[in-house]
Amino acid sequence: MTKIQLKNVSKAYGNSKKVIDNMNLEIRDGSFTVLVGPSGCGKSTTLRMIAGLEEVTSGEIWIGDQLVNEVAPGKRGISMVFQNYALYPTMTVRGNIEFGLENMKIPKVERKKMVEEIAEIVDLTEFLDKRPQNLSGGQRQRVALARAMVKKPKVFIFDEPLSNLDAKLRGQMRTELIQLHKRLGTTFIYVTHDQVEAMSMGDEIVILDKGNIMQQAAPMEVYHNPENQFAAKFIGIPAMNVLPIAMLERNIGKMTDGRIFHVGFRPEHAEIQTAKQTTSGVHLPCEIMTMETLGSETLYLVNSDAGQFQVKSFHNPLMNTKKVHVTIPFDKLYFFDTQGNRVYTDGLPFEWRDEKVREEVLV
Amino acid sequence: MNLAKSSYINEVSEGEKPRSIKLTKWRPYLLIAPAIIVFLVFFIQPIFYMIYLSFHEWNFISPDKTFVGLENFIVLLSDPMFLQVIRNTLMYTFFTVLLSISIALLMSIWLNRQGWMYSFVQGAVFSPHIISLVSIAMLWMWIMDADYGLLNWVLSLVGINKVPWLTEPNIALASLIIIAVWKNIGYYTLIIIAGLQSIPKHLYEAAALDQTSGIRRFTKITFPMLSPSLFFLTIIGILDSIKVFETISIITKGGPLNSTNTLVYYIYENGFIFFKIGYASAAGVILLVILGILTLIYFKALSKRVHYQ
Amino acid sequence: MKTSLPLRLLNVIGLIIVVAIFAMPFIWMISTSLKTLGETMIFPPKWIPDEPIWQNFMDAWNSGPFLQYFINSVIVSVGILIFQFITVIPAAYAFARYEFRFKNALFGLVMVTMMIPAQLIFLPVFLNLSEWGILDTLWGLILPFATSAFGIFMLRQTFKQVPEELLEAARLDNSTDLKIMMKIMVPMAKPTLITLGLFNFITHWNDYFWPLVMTTTEKARTLPVGIAQLRQVDGGVAWNILMAGNVILVIPILIIFFFAQRHIIRAFTYTGVK
Repeated sequence: MTKIQLKNVSKAYGNSKKVIDNMNLEIRDGSFTVLVGPSGCGKSTTLRMIAGLEEVTSGEIWIGDQLVNEVAPGKRGISMVFQNYALYPTMTVRGNIEFGLENMKIPKVERKKMVEEIAEIVDLTEFLDKRPQNLSGGQRQRVALARAMVKKPKVFIFDEPLSNLDAKLRGQMRTELIQLHKRLGTTFIYVTHDQVEAMSMGDEIVILDKGNIMQQAAPMEVYHNPENQFAAKFIGIPAMNVLPIAMLERNIGKMTDGRIFHVGFRPEHAEIQTAKQTTSGVHLPCEIMTMETLGSETLYLVNSDAGQFQVKSFHNPLMNTKKVHVTIPFDKLYFFDTQGNRVYTDGLPFEWRDEKVREEVLV
Repeated sequence: MNLAKSSYINEVSEGEKPRSIKLTKWRPYLLIAPAIIVFLVFFIQPIFYMIYLSFHEWNFISPDKTFVGLENFIVLLSDPMFLQVIRNTLMYTFFTVLLSISIALLMSIWLNRQGWMYSFVQGAVFSPHIISLVSIAMLWMWIMDADYGLLNWVLSLVGINKVPWLTEPNIALASLIIIAVWKNIGYYTLIIIAGLQSIPKHLYEAAALDQTSGIRRFTKITFPMLSPSLFFLTIIGILDSIKVFETISIITKGGPLNSTNTLVYYIYENGFIFFKIGYASAAGVILLVILGILTLIYFKALSKRVHYQ
Repeated sequence: MKTSLPLRLLNVIGLIIVVAIFAMPFIWMISTSLKTLGETMIFPPKWIPDEPIWQNFMDAWNSGPFLQYFINSVIVSVGILIFQFITVIPAAYAFARYEFRFKNALFGLVMVTMMIPAQLIFLPVFLNLSEWGILDTLWGLILPFATSAFGIFMLRQTFKQVPEELLEAARLDNSTDLKIMMKIMVPMAKPTLITLGLFNFITHWNDYFWPLVMTTTEKARTLPVGIAQLRQVDGGVAWNILMAGNVILVIPILIIFFFAQRHIIRAFTYTGVK
């Protein structure tokens, strides 16, 4: 059982403000958990505390059923893949992979066997006696992986391991890591600032901001059901549109729920058309400001009297029109309070502006 | 991928309370201890011991050291011979540093070019710097031999009569300065070349666009950008010259007529030949003061200048 | 813009003159070392002796216990080298990678020591060594240089440039500090260590001052001191023998310089170039 638990963990450097403030986090055994957030959100610090590279200021860290606060990093059963690979430049690939085993006092014969086995798995056999400097980025990445895997750790930790690769290789490595996780079944903890990586790789996402957990859930759950404005805006491309409710009230009627302060909707959920639609939803007459055609989809920036927002459409681009109508289905609206927290409502929390709209809705 | 086989669990031994935690606290001290001990025993203690001795009279053989207060210093500073030693040292230092830097500056501007020819010349010019001063001293003693020396032969080719380089009190110190400059130039040149190469090219490109003349380019860009290197060389040069010993000990023994006696040789003479330990220590204290002031200036400037961490 | 031919010619002539000024004395040295005593006393001097007298080298070598001097020189230079690596590497590592109380003060001590020349403290050290009974022994020539402030300073710079991630990776690989130092830091600092080693070896191989002052008999004298004493051979100066002795002293260094010119120049100009 190697679930990881952080109990009331705080971290501060010197006397300055806390980087992590009273964090409680549980990482499921065997999960692929991605810590994601903007830079400075504390994701790397969290990771490094789990690895033992940073001491906690207060609180407890448990790996499996062991309290590891005082356990040296090398004794926590953890392997880490670093952003810059951190391969030992003075050792060969073999030396790099073997170093940890050597320190674990594994006999030489067995070591040799393990290194060769792992080299075969990551397809590095012919490079075993080369130095990392003479390998390509992708190969170095695989050495780093092999070095991590060969120790048979209980937990793998990845600190933005793909950010130094070019786009194509990154995509490839992403798939390989997912497959690796499936095969090993070991707990993976993965830090990134890239929400695409988070969405595509993790089976659990932990969104962090300023040292606090904003939401922890499966990727699609976060997408469909963000707990707050931060999570809503962080996941999804482009980000969710969030408009002040006051400006929308003119179009959709007066709010009946006093807690609501903002309303949000995803660009891909808004329908853009040349004429007003009769489908139920919020109707906004808009003017197209800019248009980005991306082939399969088109991204519009539009202006309405409720404010500017983005719309993503999968239809053919509207070339010759400026004036358009945007419809957002009622069930795709998200409501947030003044703190940015999600407000859950029974039914639609507003009065109908006039009966006509209401009729449209009911049709 | 077959990870099932040879699978083993990396056992995390129960509550291995790192016994090394106490040790870790002391580890940095343990690591630096050998070096620090050597420094304290062979560099720091001797300084204080020397200061202590400078207030005593002692001939090394007798068991007791007599406290004499400032007498050693008073005698020292009123001794015309010592004053001459100070004068010699300062003259030697001043001219050695001035000539070395000036010539090296010209040489470096000339030799700062790519190609095997230039790197060969740079190597040749540098070579005296790594040769033992013993060999340099003896070699130049031979070259400056008044009767059969190479130097007088070269001069005779242009019609100059034999010069008694090392036996004439008015000339001997200058001869020692020539030797020192010859030895130093290569080192100085390479340092200045490194300084020249660290000047960003775009400064010159900008100057070229502004139609700057060659001389102005030197005074407005090259020289100011070089000043840190030149300052460093000045200090190093002074520190190096002020402690001159080998050439004097081998070539002139301070003579003729005390005309080449300098501070370190004087300390050596008094301490090791005349066994005036207290007196020699007092002279050592004066050297300490001079070096201390120079060091202070150096570190002050250094901390102001570069990112020296 | 090409320089005109006469100017280029002038430049080359200038370069040749410069090389002559710095190389000629050494050629002169070698030439003299192969002459008869009579040939040294000819004016104008002869560049090439009628017949090279190789015997001069034997005479120089046999005019004192030169084998002893040579062995002493090797022991002292190599001994200092070994001691310095033993003391400098851990100290530099500690200063580069640990935080501890009085770190700045202790490093300040190192920097101060760097500015203390042997010529300042030789008298009190002499008295100390004589008190401890290691005057006129090889220990007296080695121990005072058993560490090097300059070495600590230089190696610390190098260690500081090793990326933090490497050390973290090693810690996660369950490596001890000692092993991190020896297996990762030291191999990465190899160029610096070579530089330091060359610098120290050459400096102490050449050193005349310290062995002169700290030895009183033949048994601990080194080659430079022995060579310098050739001069006191009875009567006038036998320049041919003297120069032969100096060739023996200089040749090893020139050979090293020939093969490791880049390293040696780096070693000797390090502080200035920074």
